[in-house]
Amino acid sequence: MPPQAQQFIDALNATIPLEGYLVVGAIMFAIGAWGALVRRNAVVVFMCIELMINAVNLTLVAFADYLPGARGAGVGYAVLVIAVAAAEVAVGLAIALAVYRTRKTVNVDEVDLMKG
Amino acid sequence: MIVAFAFLAGMTLVSALGVVVSRNVVHSALFMSGSFLGVAGFFVMLNAPALAAFQVLIYVGAVTVVILFGIMFTQRPQVRHFRSILQRQLWPGLFVALGVGAFLVYVLSIEDWAGTEPGNGPREVAALGEILLGVNGSPPIFGLLFEVISVLLLVAVIAAIVISRRKTGEGVDRGVEE
Repeated sequence: MPPQAQQFIDALNATIPLEGYLVVGAIMFAIGAWGALVRRNAVVVFMCIELMINAVNLTLVAFADYLPGARGAGVGYAVLVIAVAAAEVAVGLAIALAVYRTRKTVNVDEVDLMKG
Repeated sequence: MIVAFAFLAGMTLVSALGVVVSRNVVHSALFMSGSFLGVAGFFVMLNAPALAAFQVLIYVGAVTVVILFGIMFTQRPQVRHFRSILQRQLWPGLFVALGVGAFLVYVLSIEDWAGTEPGNGPREVAALGEILLGVNGSPPIFGLLFEVISVLLLVAVIAAIVISRRKTGEGVDRGVEE
């Protein structure tokens, strides 16, 4: 096998540095924040919040796997975050349903009851 | 490793963009489940296969189905112009998001991560269970958090029923003889 090919295979098998996962998580968080800020539909805003929560989970698990002192605690926190996010989805969609029943819309621009 | 990483990163980020820019809300939900699948793949790469299974079960399965239910209940079928799905603050929102993303990427990459090695995660389910219960050397606070989370889930289930329940005599149940 020529040395270039061996080098190429070694590069393919190299471990990913921690920054790779962190940067993917950060970009995913930014995309979710963008969607939560600009979309009108309340259900899509929920989806974008879920994206942000998943980005944070990815960061937690990456730290848990890479940092030697963490001893995997980040995975435990990720499980707790998943449980809280599931509770948030259940209650949030129930609120969206109740709002739709009274206002006939889930457009976040028009749902401004608390403005008085 | 790098091929799997590039594939998963592309899948996750492209699907996440699809959630924000797709006009059809159902497409947004399906893109969201694609993004969650990519994150589950990352969990497998990060030595947390049990967590990846939770991710597939809870996010790709349950959360996506619940959100699709919410879409079916609250949307009138209509195709809109791209501009009308976004609020007026499209550009300020984009700048804020780009600023947050650039700041996070900058902070996370100037840090010196030399000396960190993969492979410290709880690869076995037994290790993950010990972490969740706070026994055998893991932080003992997890035992309390575990109990708090179970109470929180019970409260959330009851709250969802109470909030979304129709009051008696209000509206019509289709297909139910009165």
